[in-house]
Amino acid sequence: MSRLEEKLFQEYNQFFEKAERERRWNVYTDIPWTQVNREASLDLALCAETFCSVEMYLPDYVAGGINVVRKYFGQAWFQANWGYEESKHSLALMQYLLKSGKRTEEQMMDLQNRLFEKKWDLPFHTARQMTFYGCVQEMATCVIYLKHRERAAAENDVCLRTIYDYVARDEMAHTRFYQGVIKVLLEEDRLGTLADMAHVFANFEMPGVGLVPDYDSRILKMRDAGIDRSVFIQKIYMPILKYLGVGRHEMLAAQRTALEARADGRAAEAAATPIVVPAS
Amino acid sequence: MTDKKNLLEMFKTVATRVDKREFNHLTRESVITDLGIDSLSMMQIVGEMETELGVMIPDEDLVELVTVGDLCGKVEARLQAEA
Repeated sequence: MSRLEEKLFQEYNQFFEKAERERRWNVYTDIPWTQVNREASLDLALCAETFCSVEMYLPDYVAGGINVVRKYFGQAWFQANWGYEESKHSLALMQYLLKSGKRTEEQMMDLQNRLFEKKWDLPFHTARQMTFYGCVQEMATCVIYLKHRERAAAENDVCLRTIYDYVARDEMAHTRFYQGVIKVLLEEDRLGTLADMAHVFANFEMPGVGLVPDYDSRILKMRDAGIDRSVFIQKIYMPILKYLGVGRHEMLAAQRTALEARADGRAAEAAATPIVVPAS
Repeated sequence: MTDKKNLLEMFKTVATRVDKREFNHLTRESVITDLGIDSLSMMQIVGEMETELGVMIPDEDLVELVTVGDLCGKVEARLQAEA
């Protein structure tokens, strides 16, 4: 085992031990299912359905994610555990939608069928880039779940608030694992890792984009809970850099290269798009 | 001394360099998101202006930026504080 592999395994071992000792929860016995507020708003359910929909692409996330890190024991085993934990998130949210009376089994089945018409593809193709993507995505998801936890609490839905509590805690634990791995990778190759971080930041999209039906209108409902672009800098970008011990100015060179590449890509895309002249 | 007009011109120059497009009609009242500048590009613009001017805006001030004038105001305040 190389020094890098050994460090990655240590990160996983710490993560897994903590998960086993302190963080396990049971979908069937730990959620107060009798405290669903059936009078809660339809928007609350719509947002829960959106989260559930994004989590439903689990087979694609697991298949893509585990293969890209297959040769790193610690990271591959993490992905297996990650899949188990994320599967509970979609189950809990699905149960909530049914028990709240906001969705029927038939509606959920129909949604699943529509979801599986599309497939999630890896947004990045190296282990290091996917690790940082995981870090940003889990942090963003955690922030969003915490916002919606407040919203569920405001609507006196103890059940949904509890689900968001557990799910957000899992997402933060996943973020910490990824951050631990990135710290190791920064020690190994600081410039290369900074370049990958900048590339991921510049091209980051949440996994539901382009997949979940009516995603744009769903996002508008999410923003009602206070999730917008300014949150990205305050709650995601800066905290991640701070935790990793990377200064804003240290990112500038790598970020410049990544933003230039993104701008070039967009210009090329625009140039390749045919201009449609309306018939007179 | 970097005056208000120069700061606005500097913003235009740096934004053009970062986003690779022109920002001819930009004013201090322009809302950053309306200009199509996303949060990461904005961080780059801020960082490059800080480097050129030799100032550092505290991180907590950066989350409050809505208009171009907000950023120019923060830079002016730092320049005055360090003069």
